[in-house]
Amino acid sequence: MFAVTLDLRIFANNAEQQLQVKGKGNVGHMLEKAADQLMSCFRVCANDNRTGIDDSKRWGMLFLINQLFKIYFKINKLHLCKPLIRAIESSSMKDEYTTAQRVTYRYYVGRKAMFDSDFKPAEECLSFSFTHCHRSCQRNKRLILIYLLPVKMLLGHMPSHQLLKKYDLMQFADVTKAVREGNLLLLNEALVKHETFFIRCGIFLILEKLKIITYRNLFKKVYHLLRTHQLPLDAFLVSLRMMKVEDVDIDEVQCILANLIYMGHIKGYISHQHQKLVVSKQNPFPPLSSVS
Amino acid sequence: MNNTGMSNAWHHSRRGRGHRHKEQGRPNRERTVEQKAEDSVPRGACMTMCPANELRQREAQNRLHRFEMLAGTERDRLPSADVSRAVKEYSRPAAGKDSTRATDLRPPSVLLKTVCYLVDDIAASSTFQPWTEVYSFVSDRLRSVRQDMIIQRASGPDCVAVLEKSVRFLLYASYRLCGQPLQYYDPRINDTHLQESLSWLLESYRDGKHRHQEEFQALSLLYNLGSTHALQHVLELPERIRSSPAVQLALAVSRAHSERNPVRLLRLAQKLDFIQVCAVHRHLLPCRRDLLLLYSHGHSSRNCRYPLQRLARLLSLKDPLAAELCRVCGVNVSGEWVSFSKSSFSEAASGDLQCRRTHEPVDDEQWNCPAGSVIHGCA
Repeated sequence: MFAVTLDLRIFANNAEQQLQVKGKGNVGHMLEKAADQLMSCFRVCANDNRTGIDDSKRWGMLFLINQLFKIYFKINKLHLCKPLIRAIESSSMKDEYTTAQRVTYRYYVGRKAMFDSDFKPAEECLSFSFTHCHRSCQRNKRLILIYLLPVKMLLGHMPSHQLLKKYDLMQFADVTKAVREGNLLLLNEALVKHETFFIRCGIFLILEKLKIITYRNLFKKVYHLLRTHQLPLDAFLVSLRMMKVEDVDIDEVQCILANLIYMGHIKGYISHQHQKLVVSKQNPFPPLSSVS
Repeated sequence: MNNTGMSNAWHHSRRGRGHRHKEQGRPNRERTVEQKAEDSVPRGACMTMCPANELRQREAQNRLHRFEMLAGTERDRLPSADVSRAVKEYSRPAAGKDSTRATDLRPPSVLLKTVCYLVDDIAASSTFQPWTEVYSFVSDRLRSVRQDMIIQRASGPDCVAVLEKSVRFLLYASYRLCGQPLQYYDPRINDTHLQESLSWLLESYRDGKHRHQEEFQALSLLYNLGSTHALQHVLELPERIRSSPAVQLALAVSRAHSERNPVRLLRLAQKLDFIQVCAVHRHLLPCRRDLLLLYSHGHSSRNCRYPLQRLARLLSLKDPLAAELCRVCGVNVSGEWVSFSKSSFSEAASGDLQCRRTHEPVDDEQWNCPAGSVIHGCA
């Protein structure tokens, strides 16, 4: 059954490509039809309650789900993944499947969580995938890393240069450097430079979320430089100007600071009358991993 | 409905054409599947805005709309139809109903003329009041136009123009009728039609060159502000379109939204032209509330105060309206000063301030764009 369903999906993919070349038919039509077939296989497997655990058809479920995930991601209908995830999570067999199947499963669940902005679960799933992925599958490890990196960066963990070099992901190098230093200019440049790659992988929008982390890092530097807990708003404006962020004025600075306070990245308050940001004397910039 | 259409079209192709019987042999079998499919797509032949059958029927049954009646006969027991002003109405597809008769379908060129009539002579005219009735009539007739296009599986520049004008009309209506009672205007129904037309339009843009594409890609992004799907679509557009000023501005607004920077968003919104404001306006009030939320947390301090006038400017609202929005959101206002407190902000009553009241721009500029030019796009 595994062979048949895999072939079905590959055929559907090829059919899609052929139709695209000819310019006919609705995009995703062939793949949707393949998905329907796979769903009926899935139902047969899932409903197999009568045989013993060794012979149960339920062992086929995870493989099928992985195939379905691949199709749903391709046709961009991620919401259809939800019932499948529910089915596996409620199953008692979920940790007994082969490692390969579980790695693929967690990879897709992690990606879906990223899409839904659930970054902590996404990090757990993708980390699991990465560590359990076989050493020899470099290509797969790289794929997982493409999605794991942005999530980890949002949680405040920057990848090392060696890691990026090892997996040929130098596109992230400038992004990492920029976020770590609070360098908005470099971040914008890096995002533009590798735009096509990031958009194609679907992580461009998530990388844009790193901007708020970059602001936080930049402002933290300002705090350390001035060594006071009553920081003039102008100082932040100057720091932004140094980063060549020209079109921001004092009101926008206040808004960015308000956002950081609201999200818990800064502990303090803004006094408009004194034009100052007053931060807590204790731990005003909590570590990133404790905030998200 | 499709099945009926196919079988009826087949009937059509055989009726009155005896030589078809000869073709039933080998030649027919050799024709490709594609050619057979082409034959069965209905082609419109009705050159008037309303098919003759329907006109006669509706006139006899007294089902003409006020705007379609011959002047002077409105009060008669059975008003007469004005052939130059009657427009085919939308009718739900049903089993047994043949929607594919060529004499009932209008070809794309006639559809475009119909849409221009609806926009210039009805929607843009100030003689027809109230505008809710104009909207009801025009949106129904536009729906029928789109239906004719679907049945004929039409495509091409005329269809694109029809869709573009429909989108502009619906966007304009969503702004002008915002807040009207549900029985006259339902924003959700308008939204359904708008999304349908927009996605059809964007799909049509995939082939060939279209003069107004940049404008409508921008409008789609603004209307769907916050949608990852819409944003991803724009990011995948070719460089030439993405770098156009309209799309760049829409992207900047979208970026301000996803970075949760309402100050920047509202500031950028001032640069939008009228139709763009129509597209984005339903997102502006939630954005203003978000600003108050963020400031309630960021400026939360017992001793500090914020000047109301400055806040009003940030919100791009007049002072009294800004004060009212604050009150509705639980933000304390006394005189010229606002005191923010994270514990007092509340979303609970924020539905009380209607979006409609925030429509006028602060500078008292008269939004006097004649509706016609807005909808045709030649402002």
